[in-house]
Amino acid sequence: MFAPSSRWLPIAFVALAALWLRTHDLARRPMHADEANQAVKLGELLEHGRYAFDPRDHHGPTLYYFAVPVAWLRGETTLAALTETTVRLVPAVAGTLGILLLFALAAPLGCWPALAAAALMAVAPASVYYSRYFIQETLLVTFTLALLVCARRWWVTGRTAWVVAAGACAGLMQATKASAPLFAAAALVALLLVHRARPVTPRLARDLTLAFTAAVLVAALFYSSFGTHLSGIRDAVATYTHASGRATTGASGHEKPFWYYLSLFGWQRAGGLLWQQLAFSLLALAGAIVAYATRQKFLRWAALFALFLLVALSLPPYKTPWHAVHLVPCFALLAAGALAALPTRGLSLAVAGCALALQLTQTNLAVFLRPADARNPFAYVHSSPDVRKLRELAEAALARQPAGIIRVISEEYWPLPWYLRTVPATSVGYWPAPPAACDGALVIASAAQAVAVRARLRGDYHESYLGLRPGFLCVVFTPVSALP
Amino acid sequence: MKRSRLSLLLSLVALTSAVQAADQVPLKLELPKPLFAGTPRPISLPNLEKPRTGKRPDLMVPAGTVNLSKGKTVTSSDSLPVIGELAFLTDGDKSGTDGTYVELGPTPQWVQIDLGASAKVAAIAVWHFHSQARVYHDVVVQVSNDKDFKTGVTTVYNNDDDNSSKLGKGKDLAYIENFEGRLFDAKGAAGRYVRLYSNGNTSDELNHYCEVEVHGTIAK
Repeated sequence: MFAPSSRWLPIAFVALAALWLRTHDLARRPMHADEANQAVKLGELLEHGRYAFDPRDHHGPTLYYFAVPVAWLRGETTLAALTETTVRLVPAVAGTLGILLLFALAAPLGCWPALAAAALMAVAPASVYYSRYFIQETLLVTFTLALLVCARRWWVTGRTAWVVAAGACAGLMQATKASAPLFAAAALVALLLVHRARPVTPRLARDLTLAFTAAVLVAALFYSSFGTHLSGIRDAVATYTHASGRATTGASGHEKPFWYYLSLFGWQRAGGLLWQQLAFSLLALAGAIVAYATRQKFLRWAALFALFLLVALSLPPYKTPWHAVHLVPCFALLAAGALAALPTRGLSLAVAGCALALQLTQTNLAVFLRPADARNPFAYVHSSPDVRKLRELAEAALARQPAGIIRVISEEYWPLPWYLRTVPATSVGYWPAPPAACDGALVIASAAQAVAVRARLRGDYHESYLGLRPGFLCVVFTPVSALP
Repeated sequence: MKRSRLSLLLSLVALTSAVQAADQVPLKLELPKPLFAGTPRPISLPNLEKPRTGKRPDLMVPAGTVNLSKGKTVTSSDSLPVIGELAFLTDGDKSGTDGTYVELGPTPQWVQIDLGASAKVAAIAVWHFHSQARVYHDVVVQVSNDKDFKTGVTTVYNNDDDNSSKLGKGKDLAYIENFEGRLFDAKGAAGRYVRLYSNGNTSDELNHYCEVEVHGTIAK
């Protein structure tokens, strides 16, 4: 048996390390277009208390609502006051909680393998990278893990509180992303395949009804904007129609081969940088073999869950790298199972230490050294560091011409609205094509529009370049009269 | 009498110019294959210079001009690049593919080529990175006989329009990288050392070089 201190001190250390990796220098990476878009929506919620679920182009509401108290605690109550650090703290804290939940979920493996699973997830490049990213994915992973922990507690204890908590977690999952049922279904089917025994509760139908009710209530609460926007509940259902429409109406630009997610856990070179997670992946593969060789139910469940998720995520052509975070907990469980199967504790610790060190090296490269580099497989269509210059340029332009307007003329412009959030709404405008009058205190035109914009400018302008993202350039027109 | 002297003087000037022009030859550069493999969207790239149609105009250089930088020693403000080697700048490989460029860290960085002896530099050609549409910020090119670039510095090119590199405000125009590289007319600037500065680019904060060629003649 383990003394309490030997059980909790190591996991406390792992959690603290995970928190540091997820919160250190959060503003280091420029805002991705998706992050910026969601942060601007958060600003609307903060400033005006308005949020309405958009079933066409956005995921669920939990990200925004959980960010509100964080912003309040940090004294940020307007969009202009919001910072990158504040918005990214939400997934960062959720990602850290996910480590603790994985530790709890992995309990059947034993204390130290559970710790190994938690540590492997704590340092996994994808987990750390997207825990520092203001999108829904990490929240969905954490709510999924919470659902699994609560459901397992209910399964073995039969206590009503656990089944209601599991239902609430399922509701939070649904209120985070419409794809939530996929993850719950994968876990459930895997469970049914490896575990034929019934839960201990004698009131199965009642408990499942309670769970379902809790899930619906929680999801409805969020989608209805806490009762202020009831049509959000209808839209939460309608989002599946839009999603299936998108899936059947041709290219989204995010099509990738079947093996894309596996490749993220493999070995690849890009522009002189090496990206690899072979030690972690091989351990996970070994864990799957151990699962079937030793017939450990929990490990077999983890292997099937991983397989179902991998297939479900890989089958649709639409793929983005942040979905890889859903595979990390399963892989970490399997890797921990492999470590536990090694003949001696010393060998297990040595292998675990090597795997952790290799993963940390990759995390350092992906998260701290090259966070927005086009060669980083997790920095997907990422904004260039150049976009940070825009705020200073805009403020200088309006200082010179307080009545002037900043024109952004581009077919794509995110994350620029985030970087122009301090500019009064009346002083900035966005056009997808050049308007009749293009002059302004500062004019930013995409490369594709720049020639047409230049032809419509009446004043003399100094021109310089600004990168929106790799391969997408903007031309910045600054009135010559305003130059220092 | 005065008129005939003036005619004689003009004739001499014209003759000298003609002789000099006869010594000028077009600089021939070997260009790598274009690497714009997969620009994500079809964009018409405006150049802040007047858009050029057709072939790049020949740069006339004195006869006998050769590439003085091939294989010469390169030093840098980033002496230990994470990717590539400083020697790549002068190894003759300007293909731009992985493993042929050096990547210097973020913030303003410089590279310096030691030509081995003082030279009259006619032209400098630079390939930063040409597999993607990008613009390098604050590009400054200088020639000097002082390896520390404190005295006798000739600035050949400077597009640092806000003097962020503290080398003086430049008025040259920014440009988009492509496989042709950038050809700077050094106009016979004298010096043993050539230094090139940059301050990140429109895609990332890093500084890259595939190749630098310094064309000229060794000063006698």
